[in-house]
Amino acid sequence: METIHEHSNNNSIEVEDEMTGDAKWQKDAADQNFDYMFKLLIIGNSSVGKTSFLFRYADDSFTSAFVSTVGIDFKVKTVFRHDKRVKLQIWDTAGQERYRTITTAYYRGAMGFILMYDITNEESFNSVQDWVTQIKTYSWDNAQVILVGNKCDMEEERVVSTERGMQLAEQLGVEFYETSAKENIYVKAVFERLVDIICDKMSESLDSEPAMLAGGARGQRLTEPAQGSSTTNCNC
Amino acid sequence: MNEEIDEYDIYHQDFTTVSEWEVFIARIEEVLNEWRLSKSSLTKLSGEYTKKWTSKSEEIQFQSNKFILSYHTLERAKSPENSEETDDKSFLLDLHNGIWESTTNFIDDLDGSPFPVSSWYGLKRYIMLCSYSNTPLVDGNLIKLVMSTANIAFANIDCGVPFFVKIREHWQPTYLGFYEDSEHKVSFDTIHLKRISNQCSHLSGLVSLFKSKIASPVALDAVVVSTKFSYELREVDAFAWKKRTQSNEFLSVDGFDVKKLLELPFGSDKNPIHSVLLNAIWPKFRECAIVDSSTFSEIDPLMAPTWTITLKMRDTFNCQLSETINKVMDLLDNNNLLMDTLGLSKSLGLVNPLHKITEAPITISKLVKAAMGQSRHMTDFKGPIADELLMPLLYYVFPDAVEDNTFNYPEQLEVEFKPVDGEQKLCGYVKTSPEDGLVWRVSVTAARLFDAGGLPYLAHLWYEFCQELQYRWEHSILVPGVAEGAPNARTCLLHQKLQLLNCCIRRALEGTGSVPGNSSEDEFFDCSEGENDEQLPWDRPVGRLSRFGDAVMKNGAPLYIPRTQDPAPKTEDQLEEDAELMVRLGDDAKASELRARMMSASLLSDMEAFKAANPGAELCDFVRWYSPRDWKPDGGGALGDRMLLPGNAWAEAWSVARPVPAARQRRLFDETREAEQVLHFLRSRSVSSAAELLLPAILRAGAVKAHEEGVPHGSTTLGGVDTRRTFEIAARELHDAEREACRALCLRTVLGTSEEGKPLDVAGRSRVLGAAGGALPAPARREFTLRVRDCVAPQAMRAALASDMTIIGAFTERVVCL
Repeated sequence: METIHEHSNNNSIEVEDEMTGDAKWQKDAADQNFDYMFKLLIIGNSSVGKTSFLFRYADDSFTSAFVSTVGIDFKVKTVFRHDKRVKLQIWDTAGQERYRTITTAYYRGAMGFILMYDITNEESFNSVQDWVTQIKTYSWDNAQVILVGNKCDMEEERVVSTERGMQLAEQLGVEFYETSAKENIYVKAVFERLVDIICDKMSESLDSEPAMLAGGARGQRLTEPAQGSSTTNCNC
Repeated sequence: MNEEIDEYDIYHQDFTTVSEWEVFIARIEEVLNEWRLSKSSLTKLSGEYTKKWTSKSEEIQFQSNKFILSYHTLERAKSPENSEETDDKSFLLDLHNGIWESTTNFIDDLDGSPFPVSSWYGLKRYIMLCSYSNTPLVDGNLIKLVMSTANIAFANIDCGVPFFVKIREHWQPTYLGFYEDSEHKVSFDTIHLKRISNQCSHLSGLVSLFKSKIASPVALDAVVVSTKFSYELREVDAFAWKKRTQSNEFLSVDGFDVKKLLELPFGSDKNPIHSVLLNAIWPKFRECAIVDSSTFSEIDPLMAPTWTITLKMRDTFNCQLSETINKVMDLLDNNNLLMDTLGLSKSLGLVNPLHKITEAPITISKLVKAAMGQSRHMTDFKGPIADELLMPLLYYVFPDAVEDNTFNYPEQLEVEFKPVDGEQKLCGYVKTSPEDGLVWRVSVTAARLFDAGGLPYLAHLWYEFCQELQYRWEHSILVPGVAEGAPNARTCLLHQKLQLLNCCIRRALEGTGSVPGNSSEDEFFDCSEGENDEQLPWDRPVGRLSRFGDAVMKNGAPLYIPRTQDPAPKTEDQLEEDAELMVRLGDDAKASELRARMMSASLLSDMEAFKAANPGAELCDFVRWYSPRDWKPDGGGALGDRMLLPGNAWAEAWSVARPVPAARQRRLFDETREAEQVLHFLRSRSVSSAAELLLPAILRAGAVKAHEEGVPHGSTTLGGVDTRRTFEIAARELHDAEREACRALCLRTVLGTSEEGKPLDVAGRSRVLGAAGGALPAPARREFTLRVRDCVAPQAMRAALASDMTIIGAFTERVVCL
């Protein structure tokens, strides 16, 4: 079989194997140089702009029309927070009713949710409560949520006022942003804020129970000094 | 003068000879300054305080000795209002008030700070200099030198916080301390002797010692005394300890009673009290009111105004629940196959999957054999648990196998996820399963059997459990005691697996048409077979569920929602595997496309069903039902922008979808494969992973037991922690709760309605005295607090006399420079 050289992604691994799966696997293994990993989910009604929002954040690109997400997809972005590398695994979900069963299966293990509605679409706003119920039913108890009203660049088509968004957020006890993936308004801020909230929550439970998070799932390195992590595992 | 010379060079040469000692002093000053402890930079002590101490420390080297200088302060409830003036007087006044107030406490009343000096002298902040852990400060000369150092540093920075030095061996509570301002010096002294000196063995001797230490004259009979005599009552069984035996007697066939097995043990079977300390307390009297000298003593504990009780528990006492749980927890390190314990791995095909075909596992379950009464002549596996014991156990776990069983599962199996009334339960973060459902029963039974008979017993139960499940699958008999529906990820994995198995069994039942009242498929099959025409016309609609409102298709025909296949039910480990697989693909566009294709199986199925139900449908009709926001009403129906993108997964799937009703499609859920997988999964568990499956229910059942025993509620919340860790935390929480429950029980037996450390009521006093046999032994410890306010300040001294003697004192003198 043909040899595959993965030069495109600045990764020096050259895999002499016909199985692309193996190549990907090694790439993933080489990708382990992070201090924490947070799994985040973007949820909300169909076509509120979840995929665009994610692409804006992860790739800093915008296309007016993405293919409607089939089931579930994800992107990875690594950010620095308090001198720690935080790898964000961000899952993008299909908003259609029929996909509920499939997507809710992924709620478990998510540390944060971006619950999105479209300020130009009343129905998507009315569904927010349903989505919150879904989170409560299927996610971990201390998963963090941020409410996002997307497409705030389309002011002339707005049907959900900022006040209503704020009110709802207050009622739900979550933070609220109005964003635009198109104009890149508050996209980064939402993710950064969510990461901060999760970090705060983690250190909070650390304070109350020091042993609690030590050895935790993927975030297990929280309590350990990031010893040598800057030098190890980096194949670049 | 010589302005050309580089001054920098000159002034950085050290012409002085700085001794190590001077460096030591300077270093202490430097640290104290850094902590801002001079009088001018400290705030007043007044205000509200919490009970929490905060500390900071620095290491300091002197000659070959390493010291730790630390500063400890009680946290304020509110940050102080900084406007208040501080001066010499206010610092000293605060200090004296503290000393005076603290004299109502006794030496052994501690306040949670790292050193006892704060409770001895009523301090809210203090500095402590300790030698490093392995070298105590015992050398007299060195002690003097260190004290001088402290004195100089203290004076140099005009420190506002009392300074203590820990001297002598580490186990000795000996601290020398001092505080100074321009007019006064307060000395904090400690004497610790291994024996009691004659002069100090009684109150009158202590009073004269106290007076001799005070420089200024003291009025006659001015010294106020508090006394506490402590009596250790070791005959604690006199407090009628209620023994609760919960042995493994259910194992003997005679005494067998499944009910004994249902309950997890709880509490200690031995008296966990080590000793009861009775404190006879005289809070306050004048020095002459009670005579206590070397020859005569008027002190009689029965006359003491106050009696309090302190319980000392054994360091280790057995907590039966925790022991049972910990034994199972220990299995988490055993990676052998559970069936290896019985030597069955090979015959079950667990070593090489290919053997499965040639050596068929024994699939007839014990329960069936029992029903058929033919357990004798069949080639059979004989486990360590005798049949007489095993059968009732199995009937307990699978009560539907016999008629008139006393252990039927509740009709409605409720899974409680979140506290209804907001009260947190112990171990609420451990995944649950229906209370007293099958998973609970098999888990608790396994724990008790393992406790009683070791791993072979556990393995035997597991084996029989798997056999029964296998039999039920093969004969389409639902597993009882499991919540209805698809695997619920909020329940524990074992429960999910059984839910999945039940899904398979139910599906198998539907397939054979033996489930009455259900079904779409039947309807369809009957219908098609009833047709004479073998070939269905391509445009004959099939598999319709209902009209979609009054919507019509682009061609004007009414739009129908088709019957669809439900997505395949999955357990959480399968979902994790799926997610893992998707993650491995990476996050580039290609991988994304691949994922979309992986995920489109159910999309395709739905499209095919839709096409079958709506002959002549176009993608826009489908989208109108499936993803309404991608549908535009223009011209009777059109696709939104996203659906028009070239090569998108929706359009592609639509182009390959054939009109096939759900009933005729390839199953998204292959029940045979899934059921076999569940059964293989269970059979092939290692010891550790079997323990992992059983522990959630054991822990939750333990928590329920603890609540029944009066443990109020838990306080721990958890998230984002792996299974193993969750178990450890839960086990620890239960252990603490169990210990606390034991202790609470002891307190109740000893104290009745009184509280520990609070004065006993009359009934309590007579009960304790009765338990002590009517008379108290010689006091184990005597403590005296002497205090007086002379013309300078309050002076205080305490003496604790046990087998050793500790005397501590705070004396203030006026420093007059003539």
